[in-house]
Amino acid sequence: MKALEVMLLELKDTSEFMVDLAYSSLLYNNMEIAEEVIFLSGTMEDLSSKIQDATVDLGKSNPEEVAKVVVITKLQTSIMYIAEAAKSIADVVLRGLGEHPVIAMSIKESETTISVAKVAQNSIMKGRTFGDIRLSTISGMFVIAIKRDRTYIFGPGRGTQIEEGDVLIAKGPEEGVGYFKDLADGTETEF
Amino acid sequence: MSDSDDYTNLDHVEMSVRELLTEMKDSSEVIVDLAYASLMYNSEDMAEKVHDLEEEMNNLKFAIRFKVLMSSRTKEDAKQLSGLLQVASAADRISDAAADIVDLLDVPLEKRPYLSDMLHESDEKIRATKISPKSEMVGYTLDQLAVEACTGCKIIAIKNRQGWTYDPEDKTKIRAGDDIIVRGTEDGYSRLVDFANGKMPWEFPEPDDEPEELSDEAINFEDEEEEDE
Repeated sequence: MKALEVMLLELKDTSEFMVDLAYSSLLYNNMEIAEEVIFLSGTMEDLSSKIQDATVDLGKSNPEEVAKVVVITKLQTSIMYIAEAAKSIADVVLRGLGEHPVIAMSIKESETTISVAKVAQNSIMKGRTFGDIRLSTISGMFVIAIKRDRTYIFGPGRGTQIEEGDVLIAKGPEEGVGYFKDLADGTETEF
Repeated sequence: MSDSDDYTNLDHVEMSVRELLTEMKDSSEVIVDLAYASLMYNSEDMAEKVHDLEEEMNNLKFAIRFKVLMSSRTKEDAKQLSGLLQVASAADRISDAAADIVDLLDVPLEKRPYLSDMLHESDEKIRATKISPKSEMVGYTLDQLAVEACTGCKIIAIKNRQGWTYDPEDKTKIRAGDDIIVRGTEDGYSRLVDFANGKMPWEFPEPDDEPEELSDEAINFEDEEEEDE
């Protein structure tokens, strides 16, 4: 992939991650997660400018690529629109307007729900990485953030190690929630 | 619908605000997956489904505004309901963006080969596989299989003898020869392919014997928050 496509892909993946985080911040009425959405929207603006520059350069140096310039600019605009929507959801939380119980209930009951679990001392997840445990493959639950002591790790990767006391915030199907919680609290003793 | 009601031109007013918002959130997620999938598979059908969902989202948006405005009585109501309407509006804007994405199908396919290459590299990839007659998934509904909980892959479209179904319902049955389009991680996809071609026996999810546990979780998390303050 060329640098331009790599940047555009990052823009796309980040926009989706922002939506996940935004709904999570709403569900738990959580300011820190909402602030991360706002922070990410700043990085999106920077990345978006870089994409714009690279697209303009592409059009200047290869006039026959004008169709590509148009397609990339249109896609970029749509992606930024999604990021803006995520930001406006986070803004609801930051303004203290996300406390209506119906909001949390509607997220809980949606097809892709959001759930939290705390990693117990006897959890088999403890000390392992996400790459080791393949949590999303075996339960459908995808960890989007970890609360560790007072700080958050947003978008943990395959190499991120899980520690005792971590609060895992995951999105996934309702059927995966029970297993996810059992793994975290030590009830489930094998993968 | 009767003409005597003053809101008969509004669809979905029989739904509760919670149901409307749940529906809007669900749609806002599936519509984006379908939009990117339509670019990857160059599918006009899928693009049409995206436009239908977007249209439906507009109906849901007006219904939720109507219900919310009817229910607001106090300043505090108005404050909290304004937040709720903002969320509904954000879900609606996401669906507008998805509809704009599928309009890129108007650009001739040979002019956008880099798009599907790029989308194939996404964190959570969209991919297709076929259900073999040997697969143990055959004959079961999506609800019984809980495909996403078992593989991490969410089925976004199914093609059977009747044609394509997008965002299939829980009661949809998997049959031999079905094509499915899923969204998920690389690892989850290879597990699903093993199930789909019959290499691996299906592992049915264990019934959850502690259902009330689920309602407690938000409280646990908020306790955590309070300790921090």
